[in-house]
Amino acid sequence: MKYAFFLGCLIPARELSYETSVRKVLPALGIQLVDMKGTNCCAPFSIQSLNYASWLALAARNLCIAEEMGLDILTLCNDCYESLLMVNTILKQNTKLKNRVNEILSEVGKEFKGKTDVKHLVDVLYEDVGVDKLKNAVKEPLTKMRVATQPGCHLTKPKRLHLGFIKEFGAFDELVRATGAETVDYDRREMCCGGPLRDINDELSRSVARQKLMDIKNADVHSIVTVCPFCFLQFDLGQLEIKRHFKEEYNLPVLHFVELLRMAMGMKLEDWEINSHRIPISGILKGRL
Amino acid sequence: MRTVANTPRGRGILSCIQCGRCSGSCPIARLVTEHNPRRLMEMVILGLRSEVLPQGLPWYCLSCFTCLDRCPQGGDVGEVMFAIRNLAVKEGNIPAGVVAQARSLMETGRVVNPVRSILDKRESLGLAEIAPTGVEDVQKILKITALDKLIRSR
Repeated sequence: MKYAFFLGCLIPARELSYETSVRKVLPALGIQLVDMKGTNCCAPFSIQSLNYASWLALAARNLCIAEEMGLDILTLCNDCYESLLMVNTILKQNTKLKNRVNEILSEVGKEFKGKTDVKHLVDVLYEDVGVDKLKNAVKEPLTKMRVATQPGCHLTKPKRLHLGFIKEFGAFDELVRATGAETVDYDRREMCCGGPLRDINDELSRSVARQKLMDIKNADVHSIVTVCPFCFLQFDLGQLEIKRHFKEEYNLPVLHFVELLRMAMGMKLEDWEINSHRIPISGILKGRL
Repeated sequence: MRTVANTPRGRGILSCIQCGRCSGSCPIARLVTEHNPRRLMEMVILGLRSEVLPQGLPWYCLSCFTCLDRCPQGGDVGEVMFAIRNLAVKEGNIPAGVVAQARSLMETGRVVNPVRSILDKRESLGLAEIAPTGVEDVQKILKITALDKLIRSR
């Protein structure tokens, strides 16, 4: 399988280890990534809050680039995923809006035709690769590791946008368990990490992350595993911010799911990747549990 | 209420029966009393324009869509929040953090930009360059949709 690879803003700017791990793991599982050129911001929550037409046109321009490549989109970021998937769905269903957006896009030499689909990393791993193949690719199962999973809200909510594929927590947890790790239940699992309010209302954003960390700490896990770059930021950098503001330490290592998978597949993380985590992960690396 | 209902994403307000399930589902309402989605819906239904649009209330929502999934009426509370914010923005009610992101979008085509050390790291790893991309197109889109004027005025 081959995908138009949409990286978004946050991952290539702040979470390089997510990107490098994906570029190693996916090709090894038979997924080819073709970098999209000239893309713009997906238009997340904050930009959508400003103006409806701007959102539709900005997201649609990215969809047009994938259409020109003749490929479906693969994205790693839950916010990019939600924005692109929503706009793709809206414009495919509503001809009037599609025509309006195409009027705007004609000014930048683009036309939305409705010929691409938007996939998240979890879609591709679950549907294209499959849990069985993933299990076969695991060379060093992480059997001692207890993890709290956080798929991130926009992978599964709102439900009606994600019909036909039961992602809930089931699919993501299945993927995590394919690495040999144990997924542990905890209170308020479905709750948001607080990420969307970062930079808008930092105090509140931190308080939400703190609530999650308290609940996760109670579950006695070795790490938090997520696919969402905002959840990662909220929990990893967030723990330092919470330490500063609340004088509380949680010491919960946070991993991108592909990092976990990469370790299980026997592809070691490099030192700079390990050190890019603000909460040290060296204690949970293979063989040290 | 009619203004919200006629704004894109705002139609769900018409289904609200004030049951409060959204407030019971909301991670923010759990933490602070100011934010209460049911009450916000009520204020919109009652037409309390000046108590909603110029205030901080529309900007507490995380858009986690938990309320939307749980609304027994299919009332789309989380979607209505976007309609309310779109209207609030027209009245000049935009938090500084959102203005900063919008400005970054207008100037670079992205809302988050890498610092120098990350750019160097990317180069040393041979990763795809992430110089500002699509900026001219983004600026044209923002101009046509009149968002650029709004951002520049801030």
